[in-house]
Amino acid sequence: MVTPLGATAQATVASWGAGVRAIRRRIPELAGTSLVNSEAAQLPDFDPAKRLGSRRMLKYMSRSAMLGCVSAHEAVEDADVRHRYAPERVGLFAGVGLAAAMLDDILPMLNQSIDEDGKFSCRLLGQRGLAVSNPLLSFKILANMPPCLISIIEGAKGPNYIFTPWEGQTAAALLEAWQAVDSGEVDCALVGAAEDAGHPATLVYLRQARLLSECELAGAGAAYVIMERAERAARDGVHMYARILSMSMRYRRSPGFDDPLAERMGRCFAAAPAMLTALACRVPGLDVRIRGTDEQEFQARLEILS
Amino acid sequence: MRRVAITGFGVVSPVGLGRDNFWDALRAGRSGIGRISRFDCGTFSVQLAGEVREELNLGQEFSWIAEEDPKVAFAFIASEEAIHSAGIKGLDANSLLHLGTSLEIFHLDRAVCGGKPDFKAIAERSISGEGEPIKMPLDTAAKLVCKAYGRPGRMLTNCSACAAGAQAIGHGFRNVRAGVFDIAVCGGFDSMINPLGVGGFQMLGALTSDNDRGGSACRPFDASRSGTVLGEGAAVVVLEPLDKAVADGREVLGEVCGLGSTLDAHSLSAPDPDGDGAARSMSAALEDAGLAPSAIDHINAHGTGTRLNDEVEAAAIRRVFSGCWEKIPVTATKSMTGHLIAAAGAVEVGACLLALHGGVIHPNPWLNHVGQGCELAHVAHEAVPFNGEYVLSNSFGFGGQNASLILRRFDGGR
Repeated sequence: MVTPLGATAQATVASWGAGVRAIRRRIPELAGTSLVNSEAAQLPDFDPAKRLGSRRMLKYMSRSAMLGCVSAHEAVEDADVRHRYAPERVGLFAGVGLAAAMLDDILPMLNQSIDEDGKFSCRLLGQRGLAVSNPLLSFKILANMPPCLISIIEGAKGPNYIFTPWEGQTAAALLEAWQAVDSGEVDCALVGAAEDAGHPATLVYLRQARLLSECELAGAGAAYVIMERAERAARDGVHMYARILSMSMRYRRSPGFDDPLAERMGRCFAAAPAMLTALACRVPGLDVRIRGTDEQEFQARLEILS
Repeated sequence: MRRVAITGFGVVSPVGLGRDNFWDALRAGRSGIGRISRFDCGTFSVQLAGEVREELNLGQEFSWIAEEDPKVAFAFIASEEAIHSAGIKGLDANSLLHLGTSLEIFHLDRAVCGGKPDFKAIAERSISGEGEPIKMPLDTAAKLVCKAYGRPGRMLTNCSACAAGAQAIGHGFRNVRAGVFDIAVCGGFDSMINPLGVGGFQMLGALTSDNDRGGSACRPFDASRSGTVLGEGAAVVVLEPLDKAVADGREVLGEVCGLGSTLDAHSLSAPDPDGDGAARSMSAALEDAGLAPSAIDHINAHGTGTRLNDEVEAAAIRRVFSGCWEKIPVTATKSMTGHLIAAAGAVEVGACLLALHGGVIHPNPWLNHVGQGCELAHVAHEAVPFNGEYVLSNSFGFGGQNASLILRRFDGGR
């Protein structure tokens, strides 16, 4: 996990237990605008290259991709997935938040594509703009890239679903992962999500569309968990955090949202169901019940084992 | 487990709007690829695309969508046709809605304000309500379908790039087969025919710049292929339990009977050169359908027209269908539509239905000299009659996501 409360699962659990709340940060790109609340939850410092053990894929990654890759890597290492399962038997199920292109990647392209009247020109884009653009831009903005990066880094080659952009979609990914393990379609499922709701464009959209009220804090973070059959985990002697007793989804139409993490971590939208599930595996008494922007309620009953 | 029927199909494509026009064009080998008209592409090295050129009748309430994000309009029109053609009343708690797409639209022109890229100004205009919304989330299409046809039991938006449409249909199939839902409305929609979309793919070197070839520029499996061509559109199917569809007197266009889903875990932009992920996808679909490779009578290939993809796919097909591939006719819909990215898999299911329901395999019309390593039983130049039982459709996505679907001819419910 990488959350506003900690850069690892252990740090997040410890901060949660200690009653820590997210630190607020101002988003510089929105300073001076009339946005009433342009703050987002601060993420703790983390070095993705160090956490992943390589810089090789970083150039392809948006911020949310980095969050997702680091979280997934932590989960895979923790459960020793690579040494225990054939890559073809490892499924990947993911939620993805709103697209968040890095402004730095687009600015050079735009600067070269403005005509004498001060307007964007397709002619100049083709003539000059593309030549100075980051050729890897598409990889940073295509919605499926963060989970695909995870598949490459972690060697997951099995069945997969990627859903976007809200809480209910990640909930569906969790449900699909559980069913895939339960039915034997996969031996092991890597499932989770990443979100960067503090990205300036995302924050503007969320506020404007009234999906994030002025008194709510935009969050960011990621969480991935490993699901596998309990018998296999016990046989292999790996640590089991929790047993899944049930998972379900349904529509529940009512005003607002239900997200037990939001008050302390900010609203992490697509990442929230994964963060809640991961946290609830280690924190007794934390109910996995969440209903977000798309009004799909997700509920999981977990038996905590340690 | 239940058998799953396709009882509705809707399509918006570069070769035609609506099922009959789409099938007529494919049957005739008519290309929808031409010079890009959506924006001034004169200085781009890539100047071709498969655009939807017909006027879309969206009604007053939704007409703004086509202006804001054409792919959302395509999704709505295709869903509308699918739902109406199936004769279902709408969506309810027993229905699944699952649409696949790839990328939020980004209007580069709106990022320039007062002669410079100015995020603060754009944000301010958006906050004040004077400017356009700064984003259009990818679930906008699904929400519009819900608004028009009712709320389903579950609404999903899949973002698995070129595999998204096939995955959405495969997921719908699995859920109807298992009895989780009684109706699944699923498919894919996409358009990257905008300056950033075309420019981005041009930078990746994935698109042909052989602009003089015009409508015949996308040449899957041909020795002269030089890259794919972007297309746009949407296709949506309605899936129902076969026995219920028959009892209700619905027209059954075909059955879905297998899904394979794998990851290459190799590279973001290039397929695994061994074709391992693609081969496993096809094998998984066969296993899911309970079929031996020799049962497959036709393959609708992913066939993009890029040097590497076609060669890798052909090798994977030969490996999976070892001993029988020479007898399995293969075609590639992208030769006429271009690559519809997230919509491709769903549109190509429509081409498979032409084979199963219309009795015709459409041609890969510009295939004159089969490229080295691309040897398969290709259907080139002209359509051929088809009366086989099982068809396999491949969708292999950027990022290494692969999906294969197996469809079956409706046998009257025997």
